Parts: sequence; C-alpha cells; structure tokens
Amino acid sequence: MSFEEFQNQARLYVIGALEAEETEAFELARKHFGQKAEDYMAECYSMHEAFALSLRPAKSSDALKERLMAMVRERRQTG
Amino acid sequence: MAMDFLPKNGAQEDPLEAPAPRMPATTPELEPGAPTDLELMHAIQKEDPEALSLLYDRYNGIMKALILRVIHNEAEADDLLQEIFMEIWNQAKNFSAQKGKPLGWMVTLARRRAIDGLRKKQAYARAGERLQTETEQQPDAWVHNTTEEEISFSDTRILVRRVINTLPVAQQQAINLAFFRGMSQREIAANTNTPLGTVKTRLELGLKKIYDGLKELRDEL
Repeated sequence: MSFEEFQNQARLYVIGALEAEETEAFELARKHFGQKAEDYMAECYSMHEAFALSLRPAKSSDALKERLMAMVRERRQTG
Repeated sequence: MAMDFLPKNGAQEDPLEAPAPRMPATTPELEPGAPTDLELMHAIQKEDPEALSLLYDRYNGIMKALILRVIHNEAEADDLLQEIFMEIWNQAKNFSAQKGKPLGWMVTLARRRAIDGLRKKQAYARAGERLQTETEQQPDAWVHNTTEEEISFSDTRILVRRVINTLPVAQQQAINLAFFRGMSQREIAANTNTPLGTVKTRLELGLKKIYDGLKELRDEL
C-alpha cells in the first residue's frame, strides 16, 4: 500500500467506515509507515472535532450540570 | 433523506450566504485570560472539579448537539451527556496531548458512546424503519434561543460548514451516515440503495475534500 492509499484509508478509518476486511491491511500499513502514519492519523482525528463544531450547540439543563458535579465531588471524596 | 450537514432554517444558516467571518479559526476563540482546553485537561487529570465545570460550560452544547445527531432523543441525550462528562473525568488520565487536542478526544469519546447507545436501541427495531422514522421526526436541535455559548461558536461553525457545504449532497450524506450513524460502507450502500463502489468513492472524495479544506483553514491562521 502506498502512503497515498494509506491516507485514503486513514480518513475512512477515523470515521469508522473502513470494512473489516480492509482493516487488517490498513493496520499492517500503519505499522509499516510508523510515526509518519501516526502523525497523519492524529490529523485525521481533527475531522471529528470539525464535524462536531459544524453543529449548532444544543441547550442542556442546569440541573444536569449540578447532578454531574455532585457525582464528581462524591467520586473524589470516595476515591 | 435529510442531510444532517445541511442548514435547516434558511439563509441565515447558509454558510455560502453568510458574511465573511472575522476570525478564520477552526476552534472557538477564548476570552482573554481564560484557561485553554489543554490547561483544563491537565487540571482534570489532577482531579480539579472546577476545571471539569469550566470544560462542561465550554462544550456541553456542542457535545449535546453531537449526541442528538446520533440518537435523536432529548432525555437520552441528557443522560448520555452526563455519562460522557463523567467518563471524561474518570478517563482524563488517558488523554495525551501528543495524540490530539482535548476537544477531538472528547468528541471521539462522545461519538463512540452515542453510537453504542444507538446500536443498543436498534437491536429492538428494524434498522431501516428506525432510520426513516428518526429522519422524519428529527427534533429541531438547530432552533433555540441564542446563547452566549452559541455566539462564541458561530464563526467556527460557519467556517466548518463552508468547507462541508462545498461537497455534493451525496458525499455529505455518505459521510453523515458513517460519522453520525456509525454505518459501514456496506450499511450505507444498503440504506441508500447505492452500489458499494459508489459509496466508497463518495466517502473517499468527500473526506479528502473536508480534510484538505480544514487544513487550508488552519494554514490560513
């Protein structure tokens, strides 16, 4: 697999669209290209961030945050 | 099928018609003196609840929008949002800045949890029927009162959408089904009655355009 082919597959991989039978060859190529591949993968994952940022934020209740913070404080005390 | 990436409420949401944004950034601009996401993550790793509180204030809207895009149910989205921020608290030690930015890590985590939740739900319903129903009954998460948080994200949203909206609708649809529905290429082909090879091409071309467009945006900074 050329690096360009790897790049194509990496973009599919990070959004979970790579088929199972393609994943094995992709993982081999990932190992083969080493750090260069990992750097590219990290860049690809920035697409996740972009997809989320393309959405209009949705409102959630204040009560939800209060529940969350209570759980965190409890976990902190017992942990 | 409606395109989740496409604007839903008219010209105001159309990036192509929107005025040129002031700041060409792909992440939201922070108030002067506000801690960065990375600083907050480091503080969370040291078990500082205030840091999680700030991170929640900054991103709960985006994270909930992402969850809603996947599961389309307000109450379930709230439950999942709480679980995800709890997981951020518990798993913060696994975050590494070398592998990416905090928001990317959080979104990846949230998406995975939301898709897991969707798959559990789909175990009780035929996938095709469910997709059809949810598309028709999709809550209008795009319309609500403007908040300060929304204003701070609006420039970023316009820029990112501008990149996404350069794609043909079919490419947007394929990426939407893969990213927000967790569908494989075969599942997308089956759900859209499209040949597998066409789906593959649409995904490859669309993702390359988005990747290149986002890179261009970052390079302009």
